[in-house]
Amino acid sequence: MKRIGAALLMALSLGSCAKPDHRTHLYLQRFFGECGAEYGGSTDVAKAEGECGIITALVNRFNAENPDIHIDVNVVAWPGYPQLTAQVAARDPPDLVTMHEGVISDYALKGLLEPVDGYLKMGGVNEGDFTDAARAGVTINGHAYGLPWDTHGGLFHVNTALFAKAGLMRGGKPVLPTTADELISQARQFEQRTGKPYLIQSNVGDTAYAARNLYTYMMAQGAVLFPDAHHIKLNTPIGVQVATFFKRLNTERLGTLNMDTPAAIAAFINGEGGIYPTGTWMIGSFQQEATTPGRPLYKSYAVFPYPRLWGEHVEYVSGHSWVVPTRKRTPQQRAAIARFFRFMAAHNFDWTRTGHIPAFKSVLADPRFASLPHRADIAPLAEIGRPVPSTIQRQNAIEGIVGEEAVAAFTGQKSIERALSEAERRVDDLLAEID
Amino acid sequence: MATRPGQARLTPLSWAALSLAALIMVAPLLWTLLLSLKHNADLVGHSGAALHPPYTLENYGAIFGNSLTLRWLLNSTIVALGQTAGVLILASLAGYAFARLDFPLRRTLFVIVLLGLAVPSQAVILVQHQLFAWLHLHNSYPGLILPGLVAPFGVFFMTTYMRGIPAELDEAAMLDGASRWTIFWKIIVPLTLPAQSTLAVFTFLGAWNDYWWPLISATKSNMYTLTVGLAAAQMNYAQTSGLGYLMAQAVFASVPIFIVYIVFQKQIVRAMAGAAVR
Amino acid sequence: MTAQRDWRALLFVAPFLALYLLILVFPLLRGLWLSFSQVDLFGAGHFVGFGNYARLLHDPVFGTSLVNTFEVTLMIVPVLTIISLLLALALNRAGKGAAIMRGIFFASAVLSVTIVTLIWRFVLAPDAGLLGEAWKALGWEPLPFLSDVHLALPALAITTIWWSVGFPMLLFLAGLQQIPEDMYEAAALDNSNSWTTFWRITVPALRRTLILVVMLQTAAQLQLFGQSQLLTAGGPSGASRTAVLFLYESAFGRWELGYASAAAEVLFLIILAVTLTQYWATSRSEASRGD
Repeated sequence: MKRIGAALLMALSLGSCAKPDHRTHLYLQRFFGECGAEYGGSTDVAKAEGECGIITALVNRFNAENPDIHIDVNVVAWPGYPQLTAQVAARDPPDLVTMHEGVISDYALKGLLEPVDGYLKMGGVNEGDFTDAARAGVTINGHAYGLPWDTHGGLFHVNTALFAKAGLMRGGKPVLPTTADELISQARQFEQRTGKPYLIQSNVGDTAYAARNLYTYMMAQGAVLFPDAHHIKLNTPIGVQVATFFKRLNTERLGTLNMDTPAAIAAFINGEGGIYPTGTWMIGSFQQEATTPGRPLYKSYAVFPYPRLWGEHVEYVSGHSWVVPTRKRTPQQRAAIARFFRFMAAHNFDWTRTGHIPAFKSVLADPRFASLPHRADIAPLAEIGRPVPSTIQRQNAIEGIVGEEAVAAFTGQKSIERALSEAERRVDDLLAEID
Repeated sequence: MATRPGQARLTPLSWAALSLAALIMVAPLLWTLLLSLKHNADLVGHSGAALHPPYTLENYGAIFGNSLTLRWLLNSTIVALGQTAGVLILASLAGYAFARLDFPLRRTLFVIVLLGLAVPSQAVILVQHQLFAWLHLHNSYPGLILPGLVAPFGVFFMTTYMRGIPAELDEAAMLDGASRWTIFWKIIVPLTLPAQSTLAVFTFLGAWNDYWWPLISATKSNMYTLTVGLAAAQMNYAQTSGLGYLMAQAVFASVPIFIVYIVFQKQIVRAMAGAAVR
Repeated sequence: MTAQRDWRALLFVAPFLALYLLILVFPLLRGLWLSFSQVDLFGAGHFVGFGNYARLLHDPVFGTSLVNTFEVTLMIVPVLTIISLLLALALNRAGKGAAIMRGIFFASAVLSVTIVTLIWRFVLAPDAGLLGEAWKALGWEPLPFLSDVHLALPALAITTIWWSVGFPMLLFLAGLQQIPEDMYEAAALDNSNSWTTFWRITVPALRRTLILVVMLQTAAQLQLFGQSQLLTAGGPSGASRTAVLFLYESAFGRWELGYASAAAEVLFLIILAVTLTQYWATSRSEASRGD
């Protein structure tokens, strides 16, 4: 009994060992997973693969190149906001945090994030070099609240082997529709010739999918989704038209109906459908399949932004960014943050190997970027990408509500009018509660 | 042959039903184990690949390759043991008081304890978080252990079991001049060993698998418990591109509790065997 | 009853009570206060009286979540109680075989909700899921458990029963241990068959445990959260959203702390009413039976 007590006591004191050192410490909190087993102390960014590998190598390299600074990394489960909120509430937030651009407004408008213009200037980062989508995502009321890190959005991932079978390839590239009617007729042709669904859809447990579709095609037709910070407008002729189209896809069985995300990914990888409209984040995995002999996607994979079906060619996008929660900091820490920003901006190209679109125009123009597989095809996303207005708060929750009602409308569980007006009511209720 | 009151006579039909039920219970678990022994890439889009070789231990290697895993394991162990010991002590003492003693406000206080069963943890977790922040208890072992000690289930459970012990035993001891404490310690506690074992297993399990409280209370990675740490280590879409690793984490996290169960279930069996001998 | 004895008695219960009042009752009361305010996670908020409750009354999403919660509890508790009782009766014997079986039926309880929902997602997903494949092999169309409005709650119920059967089984086993030996001897003397023995001796003796299991499981399943969040995300379109999931989404997702607190209070009162009704109903009949 005594021995157990002594052991426990020793274990308890383990937590309080600290070696004094003269470096400036920064506390960085991120998602993207933990891969210490593979990338532990690696600083070779060029060799790293995947989101986790690349970010780990980058931070290790920063630490190695800046011996007077040390960044301690805290990995949290995606998306990390329950913890961050708790940490902010306990007045002990990290120094650098990965944050989706849609969430910045929630924290920034309460003064819980520092504007980063000062850090960008100190680090010599050129704000003029941000892509339009990136700048729109991090800027609120004229101030930047984060260093933009990437832009990500929906893409049409195409199985070109099945497209060939369906007679939808031309000049080695898949034929994508340019109008809504073309999509229907091409989809029918595809199904007739291949016997497989044209679209692989993740309707179950993936509200982001339906929301993305609704947002994108409403924005394309010039719909103003948020006329002001407290209202959303979805139950409009444009909204009804877009919802009717997607409902038609489902009633005519042109897309799969009962899959969740893992099932949809598996289906696409196994060559069970023509197009999987997911996002930039899957390029890495699918490209891996495309280069593995014997797999259904071997040499049969292409990817493009969502096609224009009506109106302009725009697409709803979001992005990751690095934010700086508000707290007291020493001048050395501020200088360290500025250097971190400079370092990350300089290495934005390395991050794009994950499949996400760069946040800097210079990286877009960089030949190294263009030479990465499929990037030339998806680069337009940086131009046509449109985030939700940055002053709208609770964007994640709103997307969840809109997506839930949109799926109900698309799959016929609710009438379109009812689903869209419910979505409006719920979102308006939510926004009304915000001061 | 008369069967014992608590035993069902097992006809062949019941044996068949029991075996079927056991199969339904075990099949998913076996599948989890098999998945954990596969290379992640082999499982992308083909989880059925778990059913045939090749198998590998690399996912378990990856778990240990993470330098913090052992620390997380230690944290979970300390928290779970601390909570279990704490609950056994507090619930037994309180249970004895409610079951056997008379004191002012007894019924009221018992109802107040019952109230706690109706409170979902999500309802109070944010205020608890504020409270512990004010007490500067976050990122510490006491901070992780204390909330689990107030689970009213333990008190309710021990009260129920202690009430089931015949009061004549107490009265006999009191006639001999034993104090309340002696009766508690020397008579009641030994008689509730099966209940204590059950409560211990239940509490340990709850503490081990607790996710939300450690998530927001232990925000520094060296104070994570195993559940939080393993969740943090997952990449997005781990269900697709890291399924083997995910399942290895599940198996790894389950082993200690299973050991605890095996240790304590002996207590239950011993009590059973004791009953037969008597 | 001397004053000293009363005071001593309180000492037994004081340690637990002190912690309980601080860590559970105080936050509950503070939550009550918050429910009367419109406040988000960081602001000071302002008092709105019963405004949040009025809003809840008119919120169809909350109403649906309450109905779902009741339905899923009714699906789970009776079935779970019966199955675990039968298992305990069947496995209440010495011997290695029974011990192994007990271990098997307890094994699912050691898993965390994350893994359980991961496993059952695989079993229930219509395409390539375990059940789906079995159905297809039999020539039937697989049931879309996770995407059909009418099947989502049963999916949660099945998953929960599979996960939760171990612990009530242990409770029944512990209860069976406390059946005194004389009852066993009396039954042998009376030459009663096992069925009579079961009904006239076992069940009454297990009464306390039965009540315990039903009360605890009811209270627990009314608070079902993880399965709803992870298996179906409350969908499709809210068909499997439980009250606690609603609460969580309001607090952590929408930062509506006041509104979430009001929802929590309503749920708390409902569960309390159910639990206390069960308690008083059973203790009254106990008193009338002269137990």
